[in-house]
Amino acid sequence: MLDKAIIIENLSKMYKNNRGIHDINLEIDRGEIFGFLGPNGAGKTTTMKIMVGLMKADKGDVILNGYRISKDYEKAMKKVGCIVESVNPFSYLTAYENMKLCGRFNNDVDGARIDECLEITGLIKYKNEKIKHYSLGMKQRIGIAMAILSNPEVLILDEPLNGLDVEGMVEMRKLILNLSEQHKTTFFISSHLIHDIELTCNKVGILYNGKLLGVDSTHNILKNYSSLENYYLSEVI
Amino acid sequence: MQALNAVYINEIFKMSKKKKVTASLIFSFFSVIVTAIAVYALNNFAGISITGSSEFSIMVLAVLSYTFFPLFTAFICIDMFAGEFADHTIKFTLTGPASRFKVFLGKILAIAVFIIANLVLVMFLSLVASMFINRGMPNFFKILIAYIMEFFPILIFALAVVLISNITKGTTSAFMLSVFVFLVFNGVGLAFPYLKSLLFTAAFDWYRLALGSYINFGKILRVFLILLGYGIMLFTAGYYLFENKDI
Repeated sequence: MLDKAIIIENLSKMYKNNRGIHDINLEIDRGEIFGFLGPNGAGKTTTMKIMVGLMKADKGDVILNGYRISKDYEKAMKKVGCIVESVNPFSYLTAYENMKLCGRFNNDVDGARIDECLEITGLIKYKNEKIKHYSLGMKQRIGIAMAILSNPEVLILDEPLNGLDVEGMVEMRKLILNLSEQHKTTFFISSHLIHDIELTCNKVGILYNGKLLGVDSTHNILKNYSSLENYYLSEVI
Repeated sequence: MQALNAVYINEIFKMSKKKKVTASLIFSFFSVIVTAIAVYALNNFAGISITGSSEFSIMVLAVLSYTFFPLFTAFICIDMFAGEFADHTIKFTLTGPASRFKVFLGKILAIAVFIIANLVLVMFLSLVASMFINRGMPNFFKILIAYIMEFFPILIFALAVVLISNITKGTTSAFMLSVFVFLVFNGVGLAFPYLKSLLFTAAFDWYRLALGSYINFGKILRVFLILLGYGIMLFTAGYYLFENKDI
């Protein structure tokens, strides 16, 4: 098994308004929970979109589980689950039907696994309800259920706590820690909830104006700073 | 192959759950029934003979091939591409372990299945109706050939709508532009008859080439090759835009 679950090499993408990301290099070991911090517009979502193939990079590449997304997209994404920007399930389908669509890409996913994921995310009671009747938090939960459905080795989650209530946030944090400990699942999580990143992630990177300013373990950061917030402010100001 | 299969089955499943698809099939059903009643009434009560038993299915095909078939096909194509881009549900399909080519191909295959289903439904209904209108047996073989031939120009139109759906940013603009292209192509065909043979919309009634007592195979082959050329160009252009689209 490869030690590096995610490798980002010289990743650049510029928009017409001259914003974007510049030369991002990053390596994330298997089983790590990486927190991607940055203000709005820093380029977090752009990076994640390129990582899952929703956007093409101007330069550079991403290697997931040893496969380059530019060359072996299917193999690279085979064991990857993701939520990017927002969760958009098909509103005219039920939660179960949406999960079934995801499951068709993987032979190991059956009805029992779908139910298990809906149970984990607390949606089992509503599995036959159409998504158009779901609240924002429930949509976020279905997104998480879809992301973990195929027992992925890598989970790329853009603002996974969006729309979740306090209870949901705590459950989500537990789920992340549990998957990381028991299944060595690698996480790449973006969030602007700095406290939550501090509690969940064991490695943190700060993206500012499209540039990766610093990457360090949460343990090291908290040895030198009283909180992750102080470290963040020291890096960006 | 599993990825393509998954995309294709997913698209068929999604289509089956959409009200537009059900509505279009019901509309096709009723359009045949209404036409049959009108023809029956004219034949039997007004003393006007509109069609024989074989011609009824062809007459229905002639009417629907320029109206509901392209219209419903456009709805499905726009929903499947521009619609999913607009409501961001396309992200779900694109982040699965399937290359964009397989996603594109899976969607086109599902559209082809919809076109076939619509043609089969109308052909079957019109055949049943024609037996009630005129007591003679229709020429099944000729009708079958006509409906099979009609599949190709409708598919080409679908590929054109898919291309448009990948250019525009919303469903309304995609629909308006598709209607505009359809009208312009038909208009050019009427205004400049010498260009007509080069336009795919002129092939919407190319099945007539196979209906007469003398069948011009050379002309059928020529039109088929023109359609094939359109198909290759539109598929390639549509796929190119789909592959390079940033979400």
